[in-house]
Amino acid sequence: MGIFASMASMDSVSIGLWVTALMMLLVVIGVRVAFAAATAGFFGLVWIFSAKLGFEKGLLVAIKMAGTIPHSKVSTLALSLIPTFILIGFLAYHAGLTRALFEAAKRWVGWLPGGMGVATVFSTAGFAAVSGASVATSAVFARIAIPEMLKLGYDKRFAAGVVAAGGTLASLIPPSAILVIYAIIVEQDVGALLMAGFLPGAVSALIYGGLVVLLATTRKNFGPPVTGFSWKQRFQSLPGAMPIFLVIAIIMVCIYGGVGTPTEAGSLGAFIILVMALFKGMRWKELRSSLMETAKLTVMIFTIIWGVLIYVRFLGFADLPGAFSSWITSLDQSPMLTLIMILLAYAVLGMFMDAIGMLLLTLPVVYPAVIALNGGEAVTAADSAFGVSGVGCSIWFGIIVVKMAEICLITPPIGLNCFVVAGVRPECSVQDVFRGVTPFFIADVITIAVLIALPGIVLWLPGLMGFS
Amino acid sequence: MSGSTTILLDKSKLSLADQTFLKLESALNLLGGIIIIALVLFATVNVLGRWLFDMPIDGYIDWVEQSMAFMAFLGIAYTQREGGHIRMDMLVSRLHGRRLWIVELVSSVIMLLLTLALIYGSYLHFWRAYSIGDSSLDIDLPTWPAKFIVPFALTVLALRLLLQIWGYIRAAAENSDQPVAVPLIEDAATVAAKEAASIIISDDIVSDDIKEKE
Repeated sequence: MGIFASMASMDSVSIGLWVTALMMLLVVIGVRVAFAAATAGFFGLVWIFSAKLGFEKGLLVAIKMAGTIPHSKVSTLALSLIPTFILIGFLAYHAGLTRALFEAAKRWVGWLPGGMGVATVFSTAGFAAVSGASVATSAVFARIAIPEMLKLGYDKRFAAGVVAAGGTLASLIPPSAILVIYAIIVEQDVGALLMAGFLPGAVSALIYGGLVVLLATTRKNFGPPVTGFSWKQRFQSLPGAMPIFLVIAIIMVCIYGGVGTPTEAGSLGAFIILVMALFKGMRWKELRSSLMETAKLTVMIFTIIWGVLIYVRFLGFADLPGAFSSWITSLDQSPMLTLIMILLAYAVLGMFMDAIGMLLLTLPVVYPAVIALNGGEAVTAADSAFGVSGVGCSIWFGIIVVKMAEICLITPPIGLNCFVVAGVRPECSVQDVFRGVTPFFIADVITIAVLIALPGIVLWLPGLMGFS
Repeated sequence: MSGSTTILLDKSKLSLADQTFLKLESALNLLGGIIIIALVLFATVNVLGRWLFDMPIDGYIDWVEQSMAFMAFLGIAYTQREGGHIRMDMLVSRLHGRRLWIVELVSSVIMLLLTLALIYGSYLHFWRAYSIGDSSLDIDLPTWPAKFIVPFALTVLALRLLLQIWGYIRAAAENSDQPVAVPLIEDAATVAAKEAASIIISDDIVSDDIKEKE
């Protein structure tokens, strides 16, 4: 039997496995993720239709099918949220928010033990949330916050670690592009995911802050608190930092109160930041570069989305997700253990791959399996394996997996946040920064454990909106 | 996330072709950015109009949906030129010289083949909409312009990929360490340093009015 004859007679799950292996091979040899997924998906469509209709007809059907996906999949209202969030991020650098935020945080929480560290955590978290860019946030705050901490006598490794870790709080607190992407790929409500991210993001920031206080009270010769700010000075510091809270509040109020679509909320937020940036002296040169960067990042994300959706289209014919789900639910071990193993696999993968690429490539196969593990889409919380309903499970898993992907920004070998801090501060080596973030890494692992054990933290806000 | 990698320039034909073509790609990408900010203003007017005057924009959803393809595709070749489409460079970052350029060449040829198939498929998709006069649901906007932008932008991408293939063939033939017109591979530290530099330039323009007041 020739190779083509045996290819034509293969069952659909085997074809799915071969095509997925091809995709992994393409990713490993460095083909851009979007094109690796689309190439594998297209090849799979050609394979499946050629087996049914002969090569020429099969190729034409595959070309037509794949050719409609890029346009039809991006032309949806829900996706229009992504460019608005990205624009907010790039304009935020020009709106004078970074120093204002740090100053406000210093005046309000500086009196705590390790106060400057706590202020860094909160201001980094706030700015990261709005800019949506962990690495860039760490770069900015490495310049603003580290010198002040060093002046007060903080350990340089600790100072660098706070900044690198604080940047990772970007992707849970709204506006979060990666949660929007997750929601779209698993066909869940975008608003529910954005709301679900808020509490875990805030809890992460509080745990970081608590950790700094704990370190400051238990270790000798830590940095002193910053005292002596009057209430008047505190309130004076608020207006400059206000747009950050306004953007987060608008998005949450619009979605929670249902008074606007997520895109309208994102646009309103971007509009406020735009006005602020113009007021702070942004001119065409800066606006142009923000628009170029926004357009580029938008294209990058959309390209992965349609690329992966070509692969997903193929998966629909190959039923690999179904086969994977039945295999995973048939494993003779507790579903929780399986879930933890899946998360650990993400932790390893995240060390080598960008979060967006990693999630989009794996979710089409892994997500249905996780839902099946919990007991299916329609399961109630009482009958489920993880104590969450079908809808709840999809929201909960999204938050955990995004948090997981964030942690990879501060782990070797490519913990970009650590590299960027070391790059900005010549006095810190990369090893110093990696050592400095270790306590925060441990805190993150604990946070994930808490989120797994208490899904209520994730599901409370979406539950109030009727997603439970 | 989508950092720019270094692209070397010189006086060769290849580099000139790269730099000339970059002008077209940049213009298209900027147009994509302008459409994004237009969307932001449009949605702001819509929501404020609805809240304040109970007057939303007619056909708002149709306009947004029709504009999406422009945002998603206009900058696709520019992003490829700048090395902005993410990938895993675990393997390629360990290769050097000719071996590296041959692997990159294979990647680019695979991307080109897929792009050509998609150009044809998306062109058929456009042509169907154009010939039957397909229009949007609410206010009957024609859908063909948004569908046309896909094969158009992918054609620009295909030309960019041809330029990069040319660049990789030349790099492999010369066994060069410093090839022009193709994105170079950088380690985490360099990527991080660049990201920091690009942000810090913009951070410097930020006026610090809190400190000024005191």
